[in-house]
Amino acid sequence: MKSQYFAGVDIGSTMTKVVIMSEATLASVIGPTGPEHRKLANRVMEEALAKARLSFDEITYVVATGYGRINVPFADKQITEISCHARGVGHLLPDARTVIDIGGQDSKGIKLKAGRAVDFVMNDKCAAGTGRFLEVMAEGLGVSLEDMGRLSLEAKNRVEISNTCTVFAAQEVVARLSEGVALPDIIASLHEAIATRIYGMVRRLKIEREVALTGGGAKNIGLVKALEAKLGFPVLLPPEPLLTGAIGAALLGKDIVGEAVEKGETLVRSERRLTEASIFT
Amino acid sequence: MPEEAGSRGLAAADRYYEDYGSRVRELKKQGKQIIGYLCALTPVEIIAAAGLVPFRIKGDVNEPITKADTEMETIVCPLVRSWFDMSLKGKYEFLDGIVIPHACDSISTTYNVWKNTLNLPYSHLINMPHSTDGPSLKFYKALLNTFRTSLSKFTGKEISDQSLNQAISLYNQNRAKVRELYELRKASPPLISGAEVAKLLIASVSMPVEEATLLIDSVIKEVKQRGGVLAAKPARIMVVGAEVDDVTFIDLIEDSGAWVVADDLCPGAREFFDDADVTADPIEGIAERYLRKIKCGRTFREKKGDYDDYLEERFGHIGRFIKDFKVDGVVLYIYKYCDPYGFDVPAMKSYIESVGAPVLYLEDEYSMSTIGRLRTRIQAFLEVLGSK
Repeated sequence: MKSQYFAGVDIGSTMTKVVIMSEATLASVIGPTGPEHRKLANRVMEEALAKARLSFDEITYVVATGYGRINVPFADKQITEISCHARGVGHLLPDARTVIDIGGQDSKGIKLKAGRAVDFVMNDKCAAGTGRFLEVMAEGLGVSLEDMGRLSLEAKNRVEISNTCTVFAAQEVVARLSEGVALPDIIASLHEAIATRIYGMVRRLKIEREVALTGGGAKNIGLVKALEAKLGFPVLLPPEPLLTGAIGAALLGKDIVGEAVEKGETLVRSERRLTEASIFT
Repeated sequence: MPEEAGSRGLAAADRYYEDYGSRVRELKKQGKQIIGYLCALTPVEIIAAAGLVPFRIKGDVNEPITKADTEMETIVCPLVRSWFDMSLKGKYEFLDGIVIPHACDSISTTYNVWKNTLNLPYSHLINMPHSTDGPSLKFYKALLNTFRTSLSKFTGKEISDQSLNQAISLYNQNRAKVRELYELRKASPPLISGAEVAKLLIASVSMPVEEATLLIDSVIKEVKQRGGVLAAKPARIMVVGAEVDDVTFIDLIEDSGAWVVADDLCPGAREFFDDADVTADPIEGIAERYLRKIKCGRTFREKKGDYDDYLEERFGHIGRFIKDFKVDGVVLYIYKYCDPYGFDVPAMKSYIESVGAPVLYLEDEYSMSTIGRLRTRIQAFLEVLGSK
């Protein structure tokens, strides 16, 4: 039997992620979403296809997810990031019962049962508790986002960051800097503020072990430590925290094809084309 | 009463919904006096018995709140601010008066703003009590008699017991029609969509009750005649919340692959499922209905027994709807700063889950700008329901 290939496309507010799978992951690409790149999801897809040495026609099924999922013209189906993260984490970390995803624009908690989402909470009403909060702070502190985690581990003390509003918290940070508070202390306190907010939200799901951490936030060691301190136990991290949504999307596509084959149904496919999304032009 | 062709059925309901207030504008030209009111807890029977036309103030999620903010801080719930904003923008300039019940703090504490800003010939606050015990009922009856006197001073005519009883019967007939309408939602797929029901019921509180009853009756006949035309969808959803006077949210759920088949909303089951008894003193039956029968979160109900008994007393009707309308999942749709419903969320959520229905809790700001993030949550909830 001819091999089947499945693609998952996760268009987040900050990053676009594409994964191509057959039995295992064959290729993955992570690129910025950005105002220009957003309409170029096909470029990231082409890059992934080139890496996997496949043509678009060889892909059996494409599932799009994430906040930009509606605008992927070449997808066969759109599925929300909740279901995709659940499926991805369920596959990569089978012991996980709770997922905490910290993305650029939102953060969410997902409760898992048998590798599927059974309940969820989401915060995307404001930047507090999201990656954007840290981006704004990194800029204000003149530190690169990638260095925030490492620097915060050098902290000796914590200072109070009392504002949850990103704009006001940024002002507070400037005030602390001018008071002479050490940079690592400030960064660690910021992580603490985000962790408190996210933990408070996810707790409504009645957190069960193990807890998996995904999204850009999971790549920040300082934030991971701060969340572990709140939880009181260590978290699980997937090999690449940015890819769980795209992997889940590809796997859900595989599930859909599998179910159709099992039932002897003809698969309903979109008339997909590998072209630019026109909605943004 | 409009008798021309096309003034009945779903198309007419749509038109009255889209051009909200069009019927009372006509009546105003014919010399009728129109009394605006907020919330389903206004005893409309008394207004109708006075020979006046009660008219429910409605907001608009598509209209950004721009004028109301100078008079009402954002801690007032967005629904009340939208109502006030629409009033300030001249949408309801045909009003002769305004009646405000102490439904929640956002409504009652803004009474003086409404009264003094709109400056209408008549305005009245009914300081409705918040619990259902004997002394509260006695107090409430006294307030309703004050309201009755105040309205007759405004019209210059006494409101007789007979006219009150007649108004009670007309409203009860109207409520019976709504219950008949809801029977059409029990089929799978339902015979009438949630959006069609919402538009009809919202339109129905913008016109005299007799006309609303005829309109609902005509829709029931039309829907029965057209038969099962709605496509099968994988989930049957119930929406629970305060007042939903805009169809956008119901549309959003139904566009995401589900039917809305039941509700605990105003205008909706909460407003129309309980009658006022015709009693020797008509005020008695009216008071019983508004204080004790309507199960709104703003009214405190004590119950002897344990916490489960309390939950059953408060939310048992939601459990019965879930069973009777074969509901797969419940959406708690709560406006930001809604004190009665916001406070009840954890208790409602645990009660509904205890009767076996998954719950999606959404906090919203009564604005089109939030549609995108609500859509993701609703779609995810439907995916969760689908994979069970």
